[in-house]
Amino acid sequence: MMSAKDKQSKNKVVEEKLLEDLNSKLSASVQCQKTRRLFVLIDPDQLVDTCTKAYESGFEHLSTIAATDWLEEGKIELTYHLWSYSHNHLLTIKTKIDRKKPKISSINSIWGGNAETCERECHELFGVKFKGNLNLTPLFLEDWEGPPPFLKDFNWREYVKKEDYDQSNPREKVYFEVKK
Amino acid sequence: MTKINEQKVNSDFAMNFGPAHPGSGNFAIKVEMRGERVLKATADPGYLHRGFEKLMEYREPMQNSVLSDRVCVLEPLQWNLVHAEAVDYLMGYEIPERAKYIRVILAELSRIQSHFIWYAVLSLGTGFMTGFNISIGYRDYILDVLNLITGGRVYPAGYICPGGIRKDFPEKAENKILELLPKIDYMRKFMLKENPAWLSRFKEIGVLTKEEAIKFGATGPVLRGSGVAADVRRDDPYEIYDELEFDIPVMDEGDALARFNVGVQEIEESMKIITQAIERLPKGEVRTPTLKPIVKFQNAKGEIYIRNELSRGEGAFYMVATGQKTPYRVKIRGPSFTHMIPIVEHLLTGVDYADVPAIYWSLYQCPADVDR
Amino acid sequence: MKLGIIKEVFKNVFTKPMTLLFPFERLEIPERNRGEHSFDIDTCISCGACARICPNLALEMIEAPPEMKEKYPKTYPQIDIGKCCFCGLCEDTCPKGSIKLTTNVFLATFDKDDTVRSPMSWNK
Repeated sequence: MMSAKDKQSKNKVVEEKLLEDLNSKLSASVQCQKTRRLFVLIDPDQLVDTCTKAYESGFEHLSTIAATDWLEEGKIELTYHLWSYSHNHLLTIKTKIDRKKPKISSINSIWGGNAETCERECHELFGVKFKGNLNLTPLFLEDWEGPPPFLKDFNWREYVKKEDYDQSNPREKVYFEVKK
Repeated sequence: MTKINEQKVNSDFAMNFGPAHPGSGNFAIKVEMRGERVLKATADPGYLHRGFEKLMEYREPMQNSVLSDRVCVLEPLQWNLVHAEAVDYLMGYEIPERAKYIRVILAELSRIQSHFIWYAVLSLGTGFMTGFNISIGYRDYILDVLNLITGGRVYPAGYICPGGIRKDFPEKAENKILELLPKIDYMRKFMLKENPAWLSRFKEIGVLTKEEAIKFGATGPVLRGSGVAADVRRDDPYEIYDELEFDIPVMDEGDALARFNVGVQEIEESMKIITQAIERLPKGEVRTPTLKPIVKFQNAKGEIYIRNELSRGEGAFYMVATGQKTPYRVKIRGPSFTHMIPIVEHLLTGVDYADVPAIYWSLYQCPADVDR
Repeated sequence: MKLGIIKEVFKNVFTKPMTLLFPFERLEIPERNRGEHSFDIDTCISCGACARICPNLALEMIEAPPEMKEKYPKTYPQIDIGKCCFCGLCEDTCPKGSIKLTTNVFLATFDKDDTVRSPMSWNK
């Protein structure tokens, strides 16, 4: 049985080797956030290329695709979380696209149905268009015609106040007094 | 709705499996049939979409931890744990040792009762009512203990909260949990052997190969039933899992029965974990004394992706904090999201309609964490 | 195989059933159960912490009715049980322990307005 300290130092050596390896393979600078969490910042047009290379170097499991709306910056950040069953590390690929014309290539050539479903969700809730994904039909919302609801400039509270709540109802009055 | 993707399938008729089907949950699958055979299956989620990701942007972390139980009805304590870990990392909290052990004990109890529910819906959906009744009955013994500890039978309401847990174990809670184990073991043996005729229904249907499982993003029992020995508790240890001894059950067949058997074997491993954790349970604080009930999230900045092994597979929280009172963005990755949309569509293509419920429930579905 | 079934039958005839005959026997509800709230108006210091943390805005700070205004000059929480999610955060934040969640779980009413409990009429 190895002591905890030995284990840690051994893990560190493995991590550094993996970092070096990935740096040369992905031709981008991979950074370490904490143990077993790596991330890399790339340009949107390199996405498919980087994902393919990551897939080939062992990051086989697409955990999820998350979109974050940075309103002040005018960008939408897409984060692709990949897990490697062989290296036991998580690689987060981050890329920022323009908020007004959110468009990026689809990665369904690598992960097929899984990627397509994640992209469908991003398209529906953030309005991001994925080039190459033919199945961007609505997933959760039915008959929704407003703007993508998870964007920061869509105020959910205002919307439900207008649509669903009644200020004259004493039980619902309290929702109109909340700020923000 | 599905305009672009509408391919010409020579089907006789289309029908909906769910959402008003008993046991299917708030989830529908549109199946196009030719005679008895399913030609094409399209998942139709969204009947339980509550927009938790957006709602959490409006609420403070302590309120969010109450909300996080609701992500999945059947494994609320584990979702509590994922949320609490994400906030813990962003706030830089040091968790007291006792709290870590209690978190693990409760998460494993929650896993066992969730597996009982799996057996229950599996037998309900395929017409084995005895299994449903007995399984729900034995689950109730666990719920009684959870009520004693957390104060709620199903929903702990943020019992596992940022910074530790909300209250220490009440008196004799350890004994109550140990008294549960023989009952759980009886139920586990029942699940393994009852009923052979019914269990044979699951043989060699819904086969998911190893490559497909990885490509479609399967996790948890579905992945391990396909022969990949991957478990977040082992590969990416959190809390105290790296100090405990337990095995990862793996089956190579990849069919519905293999997935279910992995689940049954996991109950035994969870029992091992609970016994070890209760033996080693240290004394001390369960929440750092300086922490107040309200988490001052204004101090937090950065982002984190926390993965946990839930009973259904990998559950994860992606949380971004920018120094506001509330998180800037929360993304929840439910394990059933991949199981219920791409995998179920893939597995149901070309099977007999009689096998649809068996395959559907063998995927250990929870519509609540698909929609969130 | 057949004998096994008979054995099982006899075993089950003489064991207790898993269920309870509800109105006559009841499951013991543990002390920690998050049921109906109890509120002690005399220890309340009107800090409003409970109303601020309530995730569902079920608590609202209101003034006492005119005839009791002299005795209770500040604002006190009024709860709408219909909105409450029974998380117990109000109990945790209360600095004086005035609000407590009790073991009473029978909360169904015939009238919608009965779910609102004013601070004077909360059970103690």
